[in-house]
Amino acid sequence: MSNWNIWSVPVGIISLIIISPVLAIFYSALLGDTSLWPHLFSTVLPRYLLNTLILMIGVGSLSLFFGISTAWLVSRYEFPARSFFEWALLLPAAVPAYIIAYTYTDLLEYAGPVQGYLREFFNWQNSQDYWFPNIRSMEGAILVMSSVLYPYVYLLTRASFITLPISYFQTSAIYGRKPFFSVALPLARPAIIAGLALVLMETISDFGTVDYFAIETLTLGVFNVWLGMNSLSGAAQISSILFLIVVVLLTLELIARRNQRFYEKHSRQQTLELENVSNIKKILFFVICLAPLFLGFLIPVSVLLNFVIKGYSIINFREIIDTTITSISISFIASLTIMFLSFLMVVVATYKSNTFQKSVIFLASCGYAFPGTILAVGIVVFVGWLNELFYFQISYFVGGFLVLIFAYTLRFLAIGNGSIRSGVTRINPNLIDASKTMGRSFLTTIKKIILPLTYTYILVGGILVFVDILKELPITLLLRPFNFETLATYVYQYASDEMLEESSFAALIIVLAGLGPVVFLSRTIKKYSLN
Amino acid sequence: MKNQFTRFIVFFILIFCFSESLYAKNEVNVYSYRQPILINPFFEEFTKKTGIKVNVLHAKKGLLERVLAEGANTPADLILTVDIARLNQFLKNDLLIEINSNVLSQNIPAHLRDSNNKWFALSKRARILAVSKERVPLNSIKNIEELAEPKWRGKICTRPGSHDYNRSLLASIIAANGVKKAEEWASNLVLNLARKPEGNDRAQAKAIHEGVCDVAVMNTYYFGKMKFNEKNPEQQEWAKSINLVFTNQENRGNHINVAGGGVLKYSKNKDNAITLLEFLTQPKAQELYSTMNFEYPVNSSVILSEELNSWGEFKEDKLPVERLAELAPTAQKIIDRVGW
Repeated sequence: MSNWNIWSVPVGIISLIIISPVLAIFYSALLGDTSLWPHLFSTVLPRYLLNTLILMIGVGSLSLFFGISTAWLVSRYEFPARSFFEWALLLPAAVPAYIIAYTYTDLLEYAGPVQGYLREFFNWQNSQDYWFPNIRSMEGAILVMSSVLYPYVYLLTRASFITLPISYFQTSAIYGRKPFFSVALPLARPAIIAGLALVLMETISDFGTVDYFAIETLTLGVFNVWLGMNSLSGAAQISSILFLIVVVLLTLELIARRNQRFYEKHSRQQTLELENVSNIKKILFFVICLAPLFLGFLIPVSVLLNFVIKGYSIINFREIIDTTITSISISFIASLTIMFLSFLMVVVATYKSNTFQKSVIFLASCGYAFPGTILAVGIVVFVGWLNELFYFQISYFVGGFLVLIFAYTLRFLAIGNGSIRSGVTRINPNLIDASKTMGRSFLTTIKKIILPLTYTYILVGGILVFVDILKELPITLLLRPFNFETLATYVYQYASDEMLEESSFAALIIVLAGLGPVVFLSRTIKKYSLN
Repeated sequence: MKNQFTRFIVFFILIFCFSESLYAKNEVNVYSYRQPILINPFFEEFTKKTGIKVNVLHAKKGLLERVLAEGANTPADLILTVDIARLNQFLKNDLLIEINSNVLSQNIPAHLRDSNNKWFALSKRARILAVSKERVPLNSIKNIEELAEPKWRGKICTRPGSHDYNRSLLASIIAANGVKKAEEWASNLVLNLARKPEGNDRAQAKAIHEGVCDVAVMNTYYFGKMKFNEKNPEQQEWAKSINLVFTNQENRGNHINVAGGGVLKYSKNKDNAITLLEFLTQPKAQELYSTMNFEYPVNSSVILSEELNSWGEFKEDKLPVERLAELAPTAQKIIDRVGW
């Protein structure tokens, strides 16, 4: 059977268009002169690289710990507030990293309430009298980033846990194995890895937190070379290293997973019932689930709330309502677009493509690994070329709006793809074959089999993308049309000058706007798993 | 349900298309590296006076690349930056037009505009030392070079070296003392730091207040902003803990950087853009720079605000600001080598 068919060719072309700005970055990296490299190698590069790796390992491990442990507990055991945690554990996803960095600094620095209280209590006079960990450090960055990134792992892993058939657990019980290590963890691996990949890509491309905490990572290096030495091509070269790190990681994962199967052999079965545990365990589980929620949501939100109550915040309702509407509409339209494309790409890559086409489709989702601003510059350059070729006569506003949607697609496709892929790998290929044998077209197979079976994962991805676009800053900032303000850009004009207090109200709205979809999502997943 | 959904989407698309028609004809489009909260009062004043509407797009990075890529299609007329190095990049890429305006050449002294009149400084910011009122006796530090002396070991705070402001300061030291001496200075400065460079200028004043260090490098306007911060009165205390020291008063003068602008080559509203640029150099707008933002006006006919006057007169380094832009990459390399 030829793989060059009406499904794979258009999807391949779409993928190529999406990846073009990344190619523009590579192009600029290859063209640029390399005279800066000896200087970079002998001075900052080893340090940047080491810091980047430490940050990735740290954030990766802590996010896995938070995400998997909580996902397992809420799916498996009965304990107080369990059904609350089910959805509440997603809330930190709505808190932008630059805001959490700011709020933690405010709380834990010398002048903050924590140290102030300690000084008063122990009667210390000044900073020489005692030691207190500096939040603006590598450890601090790992802590704050993990506490808002773990929901990627939590959400995908949990979607996987609740669809596990009970028979697997019964089997493991017969053999006296621990169900978590022998069943749940191995079978959830595609979901866990997909979540981890998102966390790592987000970590690698983060600028806000590392800049605020002055952690010298490769991303910070990208900006020093670009703006300090006026070398965009040098910056593109460092970005390409970042990109390679991610590709290597993802390929290792693909190789490791190649010969394994994660789908259910039998048709849907009854899923796991919640287990009752001793009171001590109940308390323990409660605390384990509360910890990440506390760190990633309750603390930053209370700090913001405190700013608002104290009257530090400028509250201009008209402006805030306008920006909220803009933010929600564009996030909504963009996440629909992204999930539609993701679904198409993953399904076609899985069932209708050869290896080459698969890799093209796979590469299209790598925009997530670039620092947002660099990606935005790649898009600016690419759209500039297109414009020279075709000279669109679109107005700037509509044009700018389309460019933004395109940019979000390139940036966040990885989230959509990752989530849908972990759903598709769970579908038993026999079902697809059976449908084919019965003479059904591929479109019918998608409608009747693939779509219903991946429904949860589509929703999960959609909500993650929506919340991410709501928070997105660097791309929106650079690519938007005139007089176009989202909540994130509105907050940023104050936060960039370390005056977040004045926009704390708008920052709270970002978090609140993410709340609704998160609660809705959790309900849907639950309903779906009960049916 | 499905129908509703489609209607919902069509509704949104319509909103976005129609908002287009809200645009007025008599307008000027500004790409600004400076935050809207800081420049909107100027633009409101301008629109009131001339009837020309100002559209602003603010970003801190990448506007140059956007203008380059948009080429002849760019909607932008005027570019505003907060640092000479950025402005100079627009010049280097041949994106600015020459403006022969009597108003501009009268209002702006020669060393604060491009020799071919392609860019113009609009305000000056002096990078000074903030020293602890309690712990640093007056006159114990006079020149920026002295920050490298061993007596300040563990007593200095700065933001990271690769920030535009520090890079530009180091560029001025390279211009005055040469690369080798400048590198020695920077590496001794790093030895003297009380903590890893972090935070912005305001955070350094706060560190002095908290007793973390005694001397910090800071732009003057932050002092004014802290002193009169009513939203967050805590910052008034930080300002109270420090004295300001203008450096190098007996030799070349204190380092200054500028915020400025220029009119873009492919601008479609050149006249409006020039009018706006001229407006920003007129006494009224220049006063706003000093009363609202605590920056120094470039127009020497403007009387300084009371607050700026109270900081004292000072001698400024008259090095042509273009030199700062040229030396910035060299400065960045030194910063990388010494790990500032």
